[in-house]
Amino acid sequence: MYNIIAVDISGRHKINDRYYMVCAAVSVSITAEHIEKVNQIKIKPFWLDSAPELTDIVQVIEDTVKEIEFGGTIITEHGEMYNQPERVVASMFSRDFKYQESLGDRSSIELAHHISFCTRNLLLSELGIES
Amino acid sequence: MKHVILVQRNELTNDESKNIRKLIELQDLARSANYKVVGDVTQTRRPDRKYQIGRGKVEELALMMEELGADGIIFSNQLSTTQIYNISETCKCEVIDKFQLILEIFAKRATTKRSKLQVELAKLQYELPKAKAIMSLLIKEERPGFMGLGSYEDSYEQDIRSRIKRIQKELASVQKDNESLRIKRHEHGFSIVSLAGYTSAGKSTLFNALVDEDVHVEDMLFTTLLPITRALNICGRRVLLTDTVGFIEDLPHWMIDAFRSTLNEIFLADVILLVVDASESPGIMRQKLVTSHDTFWEQIKGVPIITVLNKIDRITENEFKERLENVGYLTPNPVAVSAKNSLGFDELKMEIYRQLPKWKRDTVSLPMSKYGMSIVSWLFNEGIVHNINYKDRIIVDFEARDEIILKARLIEKKYSEFFTDSIYDTQ
Repeated sequence: MYNIIAVDISGRHKINDRYYMVCAAVSVSITAEHIEKVNQIKIKPFWLDSAPELTDIVQVIEDTVKEIEFGGTIITEHGEMYNQPERVVASMFSRDFKYQESLGDRSSIELAHHISFCTRNLLLSELGIES
Repeated sequence: MKHVILVQRNELTNDESKNIRKLIELQDLARSANYKVVGDVTQTRRPDRKYQIGRGKVEELALMMEELGADGIIFSNQLSTTQIYNISETCKCEVIDKFQLILEIFAKRATTKRSKLQVELAKLQYELPKAKAIMSLLIKEERPGFMGLGSYEDSYEQDIRSRIKRIQKELASVQKDNESLRIKRHEHGFSIVSLAGYTSAGKSTLFNALVDEDVHVEDMLFTTLLPITRALNICGRRVLLTDTVGFIEDLPHWMIDAFRSTLNEIFLADVILLVVDASESPGIMRQKLVTSHDTFWEQIKGVPIITVLNKIDRITENEFKERLENVGYLTPNPVAVSAKNSLGFDELKMEIYRQLPKWKRDTVSLPMSKYGMSIVSWLFNEGIVHNINYKDRIIVDFEARDEIILKARLIEKKYSEFFTDSIYDTQ
């Protein structure tokens, strides 16, 4: 069993000339095939005026993950970082970073995705923004 | 045997080890399809719309073809119809890509109706997006008129679509039969264990060694196309072990869809044995394990996986430890075996037993009669009888799945009402 921080960002498309994004970071203890324990969850909204670039995405993830009290490698899907090579992306983070590999990694990212997606929907409906 | 030259365009973002691994895999694939590789060409660049690799490189390739006396070119990257046309015009030879090569291998190995249908479906799905372009190139010289241009293109595409639909329908009925077979097997107390893993990991060798069979094994990719199932006894539990087709990196989704009915043998099992070649370097093992996890993702719903680290006879104990340290996070329930030398089979069987759907242990009291004896015989068939005591009544201590225990309890209850004075002793 080992600790990771699974990250997912929802809302990387333009609505009313802005980008309403929600980043979810989930600290979990996992095995190769399962999530064993959820340690901590952090959610942060980010509003951008222009399309996010790789450096923006790294900043968004760093800002969300810094509030996580548990250690562990940051894990995302390839598409999250615009399919850039792992070594390039990893060099931009202050913590360890890798793309999803095991079934446990994928389940954790799926969990983070559900959290970011639902939170964003909730925020947009509260703010009266049509998605 | 045809002589071929392999060509690979490397992505700018790929690392060198990945490029080498892909080229070696393409060589193995070509060998499996009975081609002799006489040379290879690689180029790192963005894809060219007309030729995939650079125009200069294609001209270089044409010269190389003449020099080496090659009859064909195999590309590692997926080619568009125009690219195939342009390259074969320049090099004056047959040009195929990796996916067409895989389809060729599958077509050669397909022997049953089901596998032939799957191969035909995969071929049609590969052809569909190219249908219009193929027809345009074929009838380039023709003048428009009756059945000219447009009509040809549409009817050819529609013909492919209707053939795809027909095959999908036939395969669906095969799948239905398979599903009812699977349910029947479960009803008869069999648990289903599937062998899965990257191609050439040694699944068939392990299968043969475990069930004492003689399934065709060769040092080639995709030797097994159709699932083969045999019965096996694991610590008293009856198990059906299925050998399946291997995985490969970057397999397109249409190919996975075409082989869905075969892959379902893996996805719908009770336990999956993920076979990995432990004699390979940790980097390659990692990549192949990631491909396997990728194929499993969204397909298996909580099915336990046992990672079988095969071919340990080829490495030292320290090398094995090093591999486990490097890829341990990708290997659920690892067990080390050597299928060739039958090493580690006891541990593997114990692990399979531990992961099988749980059976419960119970004791029933049956009447000492002909009917009671027939129930005992049925319990021997459906479960594991640990202890049996013939007194005034037959006391059976056994292990079985829930349905069997429930049925045995009902029989016990029914007969205890008629024999109230007999020794009625439950656990």
